[in-house]
Amino acid sequence: MKIIASYNIKGGVGKTATAVNLAYLSAREGYRTLIWDLDPQGAATYYFRVKPKVKGGTKALVSGHQDLDDLVKGTDFERLDLLPADFSYRNMDLLLEDNKRPTKQLQKLLAPMAIAYDYVFLDCPPSISLVSENVFRASHALLVPMIPTTLSARTLAQLQDFLEGHDGLGKTNLMPFFSMVDRRKHLHLHLMESLPQSFPSFLKTSIPYATEVERMGITRMPLPAYAPSSNPVTRAYEALWQEIKAGIKGSAMWATAG
Amino acid sequence: MNEFDQAYLVPDGTDLQGIKDALEARCRIGEDEPRHLLRRFHDTFDWSLYLAGGVLEERIDGHQRVMMWRDLNDEVPVLACELDRDLGFAADLPPGPDTERLARLLGIRRLLPLLDVHSRILTWRLLNEDDKTIARLELEQNRYDDKARERQGPISTRLRLHAVKGYEADFRDTARLLNEELGLSLVRTELLLEALASAGRKPGDYSSQLNFRLDPDRRADATTKEILLHLLNTIEVNVPGTRDNLDSEFLHDLRVAVRRTRSALTQIKDVFAPDVVEQYKDAFGWIGEFTGPVRDLDVYLLDFNAYQACLPEPLRPHLEPLRDFIHAHYGEEQKNLVEHLDSKRFRDLLRDWRAFLEAPVPESSVVPNAMRPVMAVANDRIWTMYRRVRKEGRAMTPASPAEDMHELRKSCKKLRYLIEFFDSLYPKQEVRQLVKLLKVLLDNLGKFQDLAVQADHLREMAQRMRDEDRASTDTLLTMGILVGDLLEHQHRAREEFAEIFAGFDSDEHQGLFKSLFDAQKRQGKGA
Repeated sequence: MKIIASYNIKGGVGKTATAVNLAYLSAREGYRTLIWDLDPQGAATYYFRVKPKVKGGTKALVSGHQDLDDLVKGTDFERLDLLPADFSYRNMDLLLEDNKRPTKQLQKLLAPMAIAYDYVFLDCPPSISLVSENVFRASHALLVPMIPTTLSARTLAQLQDFLEGHDGLGKTNLMPFFSMVDRRKHLHLHLMESLPQSFPSFLKTSIPYATEVERMGITRMPLPAYAPSSNPVTRAYEALWQEIKAGIKGSAMWATAG
Repeated sequence: MNEFDQAYLVPDGTDLQGIKDALEARCRIGEDEPRHLLRRFHDTFDWSLYLAGGVLEERIDGHQRVMMWRDLNDEVPVLACELDRDLGFAADLPPGPDTERLARLLGIRRLLPLLDVHSRILTWRLLNEDDKTIARLELEQNRYDDKARERQGPISTRLRLHAVKGYEADFRDTARLLNEELGLSLVRTELLLEALASAGRKPGDYSSQLNFRLDPDRRADATTKEILLHLLNTIEVNVPGTRDNLDSEFLHDLRVAVRRTRSALTQIKDVFAPDVVEQYKDAFGWIGEFTGPVRDLDVYLLDFNAYQACLPEPLRPHLEPLRDFIHAHYGEEQKNLVEHLDSKRFRDLLRDWRAFLEAPVPESSVVPNAMRPVMAVANDRIWTMYRRVRKEGRAMTPASPAEDMHELRKSCKKLRYLIEFFDSLYPKQEVRQLVKLLKVLLDNLGKFQDLAVQADHLREMAQRMRDEDRASTDTLLTMGILVGDLLEHQHRAREEFAEIFAGFDSDEHQGLFKSLFDAQKRQGKGA
């Protein structure tokens, strides 16, 4: 089982679209896939038409009293399941704090799911917190979608500092990529050229900005489920998925985790 | 069937719209485009998967091609994997721990397609207020297609209800509606079995084993015809697979049935006119002869890995030219075999033999055993043959020539076949024990003879390979080591003989033979 997180300190950069669309592509390819909506706002849960509710709330979940598998909901797509969001996830930090090894709790909760799933996608809330640290430690790949702006570049540097400053996180398989790219904007093009030079792990695929993606909120389904491969954004997600898969296989973490 | 995956039978004439309306009264329904599913069922010719309680399906659903191995009457597969190749021998299966179990069941037999079931599937998705799918129903309209026998037709329509994870309560509600309100009952018959029955086929209807239920008081000639007719059926049913060389067991079973036929003809003595016996003994001898060369090559190919394994590691690759040589000559021998099977002589032989066997026995016969009850004839023949085996075996010394061992082996085989023909006339357990005993003895005698024949044949092949310039010095030397090894094993078999025969000839076993087959003793007992 490989765990892939979609994360950024900033909000509104396409984290949920990334997690939802890649999870869909993974399942479509035949992998048993789970997506865990860790964001109390529950956007991924909404896209899959599932009620944002977890029995017993975060407390039961984090304490281990509730089996993760019992909370899973089947989506409308074969091999793709969802662990829904719950509004109580906003308190997850506090509850994680109460545990013996607060930064490895998520990893522990997910371990038994290895029997049932090949890929697990984590749709993370923005911010940097104990939840994020749990995510970093559990993941085989940390996807960071970012809009090519100066502020985004700053947050990526912040994230890298954070990872390097924490024991055991220095080797996190960081995979930043450009999202919501508008090729008419000079600044976007400029940053897309310069930024990957300072971050060699930058993925080559970028996701263009398109109203088609915004329609996910209306259709309430992953983009490739309603926009065929002839659509350039669907094609971009497909290319992104192939690049990520190859990147996970080649990473140093592959040998030890999973 | 899993708890959250159920199939209901939809009787002919059911109002399908009525089912949909009843569901729609409860919740909204999303309908997917109808799709086509092809299930191709496979098994070996001797039904090894079916007899082990399993079903192997190749499913073609849209662009997906999957192999599923499951238990009969259970939709949840033991093994399911993508299929990127055609099914055939065990070695062709996708690798993995579960396929190893499957491979063990197949042994050396090839998977053959049994028949196809085509399904037109209409999917109804039960939706909640968010238009989320909470359960799936698949209406499956089925047709079987038995291509080999050119038969096809409809089979029962099934309605499959699948749960969506996390929405089990909705599944239970729907199940209740289908069952209690719409009166649909769960499917009890495995799809494969229903399709086979519709195609007029009986699963498990082929076995190379003999399984007669004989009437002890019936005339011996009529009973012998019954035995021979069964053997003729076995020969005939194996001809197409032998012809197409689907796997080596077709030819093997055919040859065993031919040998048994000759044995029944000559060993169930004096039930048919002598000229009939002579004519067909020779005719079936001819089949034994022309089928021999391909069988010899099959044996080499089947044992090839074992041959290699008994050689020191560095020498093993030197044996490969022998495999190539066998393959190179295989086609020629197989062609020759097919020509014989297609010949008028062969066809006429089987036709005339069948006509003879199917003709009623004459009302009265002067042939001495013809009209006696089969039980009496069986006792006589088995008892006589047993005494011959005993006599020949007891006379064997370490200095006895190989020919004596061959003679003993032939007598043992005759005895075994006789007991197997007539086993239903005797207590099951005792007869089984004796056959087992004979198998041990035959195994030893077989090793002694076959290993010597193989060693001779290998020498012959080495010579031919040299003549055809197909063997290097290393290959010839390696074959020499192999010949030495075979002869060593043969020698060991000879040494073990005395002890194995003593086990066969123990007081206990003598008593058992006597009590079962000695007519005088049986009469003394009032049997």
